[in-house]
Amino acid sequence: MVEQDQAQQSSPSAFLVLRVVRFLGLVALGAIVGGVAALVAVSFVAGVVWLNDTLLISPRGRMMFEYPHWLVVTTLAVPILGGVLVGQLHRLLPQHRPHGPADVIAAVQTGRGRLPIRAGAVSALSALVSLGSGASVGQYGPLVHLGASLGSAGARWLRLSRCDDHITIACGVAAAIATVFNAPLAGIVFAHEVVLRHYALRAFAPVAAAALVGHVIATNVLARGALFHVAEAPLPRSWEFGVFLLVGGLGALIAGAYMRAILAVGARSARLALAQPLRPAVAGAMLGVAALWVPDILGMGKETLRFATIAGAYTSPELLMVMGLKLAATALCLGMGFGGGVFSPALVIGTLFGALVGTLVASISGVTDTFVFYAICGMVAVTAPVIGAPLTTLLIVFELTGSYALMTAALASVTLACPIAAQLFGRSLFDIQLARRGLDLSVGRSQAMLGETRITDLISDDCVTLTSETTVAQAVAALTRSGHALGHLVDGQGRYRNSLTLVELYRGQERDSALLVGDWPRTPRPVLGPDSSLWTAIGLLQRGAGETIVVVDDEDRFLGVVREARIAKAYLRHSDALNREEHGAG
Amino acid sequence: MQARSLASSALPGTGVAAGCDSQSPLAWVCIAWLVCLLLVWLLAVSPVVSLAAETRAEEKPVLTVLSWGGAYERAQQRALFVPFSDATGIGVKVERYDGDLTALRQAVADGHVPWDVIDMTRSTALAACDEGLLTSLARDGVLPAPDGTPPARDFIEGALGDCFVTHSIFATVLAYRTDAFPGRRPTRVKDLFDQQRFPGPRALQRTPKANLEWALLAQGVPREELYRLLSTPRGLSLALAPLEGLDDLRWWTRGDTPSRLLMDGEVVMASGYNGRFFDALVSQGAPIAILWDGQVQEHETWVVPRHVDHPQAAKAFIGFATSAERQAELTRYIPYGPSRQSAVPLIATHRDTGVDMRLYIPTHPLNSANAVVLDERWYASTLRRITQYFDARLIDRDAASAP
Repeated sequence: MVEQDQAQQSSPSAFLVLRVVRFLGLVALGAIVGGVAALVAVSFVAGVVWLNDTLLISPRGRMMFEYPHWLVVTTLAVPILGGVLVGQLHRLLPQHRPHGPADVIAAVQTGRGRLPIRAGAVSALSALVSLGSGASVGQYGPLVHLGASLGSAGARWLRLSRCDDHITIACGVAAAIATVFNAPLAGIVFAHEVVLRHYALRAFAPVAAAALVGHVIATNVLARGALFHVAEAPLPRSWEFGVFLLVGGLGALIAGAYMRAILAVGARSARLALAQPLRPAVAGAMLGVAALWVPDILGMGKETLRFATIAGAYTSPELLMVMGLKLAATALCLGMGFGGGVFSPALVIGTLFGALVGTLVASISGVTDTFVFYAICGMVAVTAPVIGAPLTTLLIVFELTGSYALMTAALASVTLACPIAAQLFGRSLFDIQLARRGLDLSVGRSQAMLGETRITDLISDDCVTLTSETTVAQAVAALTRSGHALGHLVDGQGRYRNSLTLVELYRGQERDSALLVGDWPRTPRPVLGPDSSLWTAIGLLQRGAGETIVVVDDEDRFLGVVREARIAKAYLRHSDALNREEHGAG
Repeated sequence: MQARSLASSALPGTGVAAGCDSQSPLAWVCIAWLVCLLLVWLLAVSPVVSLAAETRAEEKPVLTVLSWGGAYERAQQRALFVPFSDATGIGVKVERYDGDLTALRQAVADGHVPWDVIDMTRSTALAACDEGLLTSLARDGVLPAPDGTPPARDFIEGALGDCFVTHSIFATVLAYRTDAFPGRRPTRVKDLFDQQRFPGPRALQRTPKANLEWALLAQGVPREELYRLLSTPRGLSLALAPLEGLDDLRWWTRGDTPSRLLMDGEVVMASGYNGRFFDALVSQGAPIAILWDGQVQEHETWVVPRHVDHPQAAKAFIGFATSAERQAELTRYIPYGPSRQSAVPLIATHRDTGVDMRLYIPTHPLNSANAVVLDERWYASTLRRITQYFDARLIDRDAASAP
């Protein structure tokens, strides 16, 4: 900023040119990050398909296997061994858990940025092994996190500011989504809706460039069919929109059950008397046993997703059973520590739920031609609340099917699903996870950011310290000389004991000028630690902490004071930076 | 594959975006591409030099080509063999191929193979390649497009294998009598199973191939997902249901049966090879039309076996015969589709009758919008089991109810 100000004074036009060049550089960086993230995403997807075929997880691999009797053995062994490997991989990570979109959101919302590339790579590898060995998890979460980590690495490598770091993180996220869904608009919106959570022109251009590059790579390299495809969609009757709304309301409840189940299994498994690295293997064993009867629950479930959009492929009891088992299997896999996302299983569960409603509607009203509408509505009604992204899911539907009618129906469902789930459970599974880790994003970003800023730099030693032997008269004299209204009593070991105002000391002096300040009655005052956040400091100010707040360490040693004025200045600086980031044009 | 002696037709089309190969891992594509680049670089000079050496040493070698006989071979003579001899001075001797690998296996084991080039279906070529009976072609000798587009981008997906080059595409399609449904025409595969709107007997080939694919396409499954879904018991069952629901269904086994059944009016809609239908339409004036939606394409390839006498001349022939110009020329005799995009705009009229061949070439964009590429690898390992299931649910049932 300082350089820019100087540049602006010397020559306004040169400054403008410089600014435009810098901005174009950021857009180009966004495109490069997008390209790298997209190529990595493409390789990841191809790797999962290859592993599934080779390890006899995918139906195609199982069907082409020449010794069907051995499938029982591989169905059990592959998830177990995958679980063992995943457990070992996670030992390489901080907190011994795979990182995901929640960590990306936290990094951007708190202004911390700087996602470590190592955590991204190991998490992606563990997701690759998990998905490859058939765990019922998603592939998009790890790709989002990996894309974000790559973007952040690019920003760090070029020594960009944290604000630009957030933008490159969003670029990686947008490119990952744009590539794997081949849906550039959804990628752009997802980065804004879920990760940035604000809309700034400065961020939009690089993110759009990244999504475009991802899209181009997806169309040229990834010769892949649409995730779902609808041949010819008839227009639904008007009363059916009422049912779509209802699907939304019920879908919110299913989304809630899904999120709760994942979190509950996670909490339970933490209390299990079982070494953490072994937990995924146990989940793998249970999954393998269940898959012997219902192989539909293995892996991402692309075939299940397709069957659920075909009327008559499943009977109602089958839909209910596969839906329940898929939900349980996903909660088991994610809760017990397999790596992977939550989106793909939510797609499957939602589509099965929609198909169930569609089957019921068909049996009551005899309407069968709009079956696929119910499947898609169920899909968005469950997935949108889980990832907290109604617009993204709508756009994914639109970009993948190209059907305006379908998107309108999906809109009806999302309209009800997202608010209901947000009221009952939380904005998204990621937000709930972060809240449980102590980061509450429901009150907006400034709290997250201020909560992340330490007061360390604000500590000043410009204050009056008193010892127990100081008399009141000496204390008054010292305070008057320094111009401060508060003196701090520190004992022989440097520990903070008390704070005395000038007014109190005056009054004491009037009674007995030889009185020692050490004998003064202690008035409890709030103190800060050296690592306290700016948010805590502001909270103390609001509760009337006074003009200065004392900072002490864990053993009560006096470290200095933080002045109200400096807190206010820091706060203004932060909200200014936030404003610039969230409303900046270039 | 029985001999499709009368041309199955087809021109290569640009829009054959590909189908079932979509699961081939990207990584392999990249590796193959890099390896290819490396080989092209390594071999840039050597083949030319050695071909020159070979021709000098033997003066004019005579290539022995194994092909399918009939009208198909006559078309190849006019479009490929004679022009090749004219251009290079290398003679071409043609022998009849029966589609079997037994003789080739024996010849390779003996260390001497008398056929320099063989015209094989891709499924046979894949099996022969896996058995190590074929020379690695690694795309050397294949010419770039006239505008300089490299072969890897010009050829359709899956056309350039480790030991084969696809030279043309034939298709299993549906055809119907044009006078059977007054006021309407079938336009989608779905209409095969809609006997309310399109009443009348059908004839289908007695094999799961194409029939299962069509049954799923008719239920809205995108072509990219056909084989993944058919790999599940649920998918198979779903595919057999509409086939079971067909009334008046005739099963055929010989390639010339469907066009005869249609011409005799015994059925109103039938599946068959596009070349046979073309022949019935153009040569015999049958009142039938081809329904291209959901056509199931298969590849015909050139391969060079191991231990042949003239490997360099064989590769030179493959380069010549797969050039865009020669591929387009072949379509003027039989409706086989070129395997490279650059040949498509060159497709013209039939040499003998003047018919516009674009309408009869499977890979032409006019016809290939919803083409399925038969997944030979999938069928290679599943056909036996799938056929048992297919027979149990469809054929045996019919047999039981017939008497």
